[in-house]
Amino acid sequence: MSLDITKMRNIGISAHIDSGKTTLSERILFFCQKIHAIHEVRGKDGVGATMDSMELEKERGITIASAATNVTWKDHPINIIDTPGHVDFTIEVERALRVLDGAILVLCSVGGVQSQSITVDRQLKRYGVPRIAFVNKTDRTGANPYRVRDQLEEKLGLNAVLMQVPIGLEDAHVGVVDLVTMKALYFDGDETYAVREAEIPAELLSEAEEKREIMLEALSMFNDDLMEKVMEGDDIPVDLIHDAIRKGTLANELVPVYIGSAYKNKGVQPLLDAVIRYLPAPPDITNKALDLDNNEAEVILPSDSSKPPVALAFKLEDGQYGQLTYIRIYQGEIRKGSELFNVRNQRKFKVGRLVRMHASSMEDISEASCGDIVALFGIDCASGDTFCGGDLNLSMTSMYVPNPVISLSVKAKDKAASDKMAKALNRFTKEDPTFRTYVDPETNDTIIQGMGELHLDVYVERMRREYKADVETGAPQVAYREAISKRVEWEYTHKKQTGGSGQYAKILGIMEPITDSEDNYLFESLVKGGNIPTEYIPSCDKGFRTAMEKGSLLSFPVVNVKMTVVDGASHAVDSSDMAFQTAALMGFREAYKKAGPVILEPIMKVVVEGPTEFQGNIFGSINQRRGMIVASHEEGVNCSVEAEVPLSEMFGYSTSLRSSTQGKAEFTMEFAKFSKVPQSIADELIKKAEEERKAGKQGR
Amino acid sequence: MVKQELIKKSPLRKLDNSTRGGVGEGNIGVVASRRGIGKTACLVHIATDKLMAGKHVIHVSYSKRVDHIIQWYEDIFTEISRKRDLENAMDIHDEIIQNRVIMNFNQQGTSVKQVLAGITAMMEHGGQAETSALFIDGFDFTKASQDDVKAYKEFAVQKKLGIWFTDDYHREDIDGPVLNSKGIPTNLESFLDIIDVIVTLKAEKDYLHLYLVKDHDVFLSKDLPLKLDPKSLLIADL
Repeated sequence: MSLDITKMRNIGISAHIDSGKTTLSERILFFCQKIHAIHEVRGKDGVGATMDSMELEKERGITIASAATNVTWKDHPINIIDTPGHVDFTIEVERALRVLDGAILVLCSVGGVQSQSITVDRQLKRYGVPRIAFVNKTDRTGANPYRVRDQLEEKLGLNAVLMQVPIGLEDAHVGVVDLVTMKALYFDGDETYAVREAEIPAELLSEAEEKREIMLEALSMFNDDLMEKVMEGDDIPVDLIHDAIRKGTLANELVPVYIGSAYKNKGVQPLLDAVIRYLPAPPDITNKALDLDNNEAEVILPSDSSKPPVALAFKLEDGQYGQLTYIRIYQGEIRKGSELFNVRNQRKFKVGRLVRMHASSMEDISEASCGDIVALFGIDCASGDTFCGGDLNLSMTSMYVPNPVISLSVKAKDKAASDKMAKALNRFTKEDPTFRTYVDPETNDTIIQGMGELHLDVYVERMRREYKADVETGAPQVAYREAISKRVEWEYTHKKQTGGSGQYAKILGIMEPITDSEDNYLFESLVKGGNIPTEYIPSCDKGFRTAMEKGSLLSFPVVNVKMTVVDGASHAVDSSDMAFQTAALMGFREAYKKAGPVILEPIMKVVVEGPTEFQGNIFGSINQRRGMIVASHEEGVNCSVEAEVPLSEMFGYSTSLRSSTQGKAEFTMEFAKFSKVPQSIADELIKKAEEERKAGKQGR
Repeated sequence: MVKQELIKKSPLRKLDNSTRGGVGEGNIGVVASRRGIGKTACLVHIATDKLMAGKHVIHVSYSKRVDHIIQWYEDIFTEISRKRDLENAMDIHDEIIQNRVIMNFNQQGTSVKQVLAGITAMMEHGGQAETSALFIDGFDFTKASQDDVKAYKEFAVQKKLGIWFTDDYHREDIDGPVLNSKGIPTNLESFLDIIDVIVTLKAEKDYLHLYLVKDHDVFLSKDLPLKLDPKSLLIADL
């Protein structure tokens, strides 16, 4: 079966907690399956299928259990992508947003635009995801969809336009008036769950006409034909309206608003119609990849099935049959039995089983075309990996993995917890390349490392929640670096020639900072005439590398150093690999003291977003933390502040920001660079490290 | 060259010397030209000169993005430090960027009151209390009222700072001549009692020339001994 790619939709459902995201998802699955089933059956034997309420109850159990669920609505395959429940900016959320082309923003008719709605909308905005809004829970006491529409405009700055007018609210909610067709739609809730179309009730006619006017005025921006017809007062063809809505939605300049109550099975079908009418199909979106053969230059991926495949593994899941890898195909098609190439580890693998996940079943398929979301079985990979076919060497994400900037020790409470923790850590490192773990040889503690406090918090929480691993964590530690600030020439002789086999090595060298490249360490030998025998040159290199693992200021790794060996001397009997390694190590340490060693700290790029009324508090919160405000950006009632702040000052920032802005501001943080710690703070750090060293020695 | 010397030898000292004190505390200065001639570069150069002298500045813009403004500052700094062979350029760069903040207002229609509230918040809470100059790029004098410009003037006096604006006098929505007989942009005519210094930029032969057309209470059309290099868009001696 070949799919018409223009019919395909990849969507996410985003919402504030309690606005009915789960119920709506369930209903979408139910209606799609149900209607699809009816359609299938009717298509075959012409007999309508029915389903009683008992069966509905049974079906209610369907939830989106997988990362992507495939349903079909009126011949349109829709992949519903699960957007993670937590709203923190993590690689997981980023990947989910990356693979979806459009979204339904669910809001509560009573609660309206709540703080989390603001957050999810901001995320959708950041990724330019076109969306339609669904104002849910119209059956609730106090429901007011009009107010919610106003809030969408005021609080989120969206050009939100009502597409429907409710027929009754709260208990009396029975249907909606479709402003495009000017028909009343009733959801009677009988066994067929069909939508009954009727004339608009007389008492609603004037309101509907008024709202239609507003809608048409907003839409006329997107279609000149429509604008002309509106101005002339002509009859307006429905197709023209659909076209304008779609145009506006795709351009992210319009958000059509739908109304209903998923719980009471009202308004779901028109919402699904809107999904297939107005949200983008894969070819409507421009997707870009990075060409690894060309310095990560951007390449546009046309949604073309005839080109070699490019796919992104966006989620891994452990199932009963092993690892399930969800992929989104951006270009070309993937066939069972074909060969793909994992760009990250440069390895080829064969596509064994290819499956599509439905609400309650899994379907084996033999091929999947571009734009689609499917899953692979038994592939050894990490999430975020890009798979290519042909000779392509493209990556959907940058291959650059930053060094972790923060670490935390985690301890399992008992043996069982320890096993679960190991399993969890193994999974996390596969999912997220910026998350690392190792065992500290000195303390025997398991250390996890990542890109920020929140980043590690999320994983610790997942360890507890998903893996039921009972773990304790230590205090977070900033990963400092050490570096030198000036060039020195040095000389070191390692000599031990009393009794037994002796040791002798002499090295003359230059130690200098690397300023013009990203390299952490460079080694060069200028030794001539065999003053240091060739076989011992690598020994020098090795000795320097060992020395760089721990600087003498804080015992953190030393970076950006170039070591040049200029000359030296050896002894026919007493020189050895070991002797040169020791001389290099000791020589490095002595030279290091003279080379103006400094401490580098991770500086984070912090972006704080919130209402303008709290601008002063936001500025202040950054200023108090040795932060540097780079820019501020005011957009209507909201502002965003971009700053560079040392990571060591960011601990507890979310709490303090929340309390100083009444919880209305939020921030994202990512690693920016390492930069020199101010002298006064460096002195404190060194003092503290010395005290710890002393305390450690006494303890032993 | 060390920093102090660079400041002393900056061609901008000629601007200070040609005018009576330049744009000092409580003053308003305007760099006016047609579109696309180099107003922003000129403004950034003046700002960078202040930064080099250890002063704090706030740059206000109305564009969609701020990264290109930051790039302007980077480029101008790089050009100056390369041309003058500045010692410890990276350290000086890291030091001075701490004293610079870019404030962007997305909507052209943001009210003066709102802009000034933002700047006040930045000065009071954002660690920029020592700000001695504001640089406002993209303010629309054609649509501004007397009260708007007066509000800036009062702010400059109250906060003891100088404000430099850019003025784009060649707009499609202006009919008639863009400069009056004294060489003053017509869209600035109604603000002449509020604005202290006006400099216009004109493309002539190989260089962009700076003309001083209003120097406090004196109107003149003086060709300043300054020009803008059209390649680097740096202000240089003539």
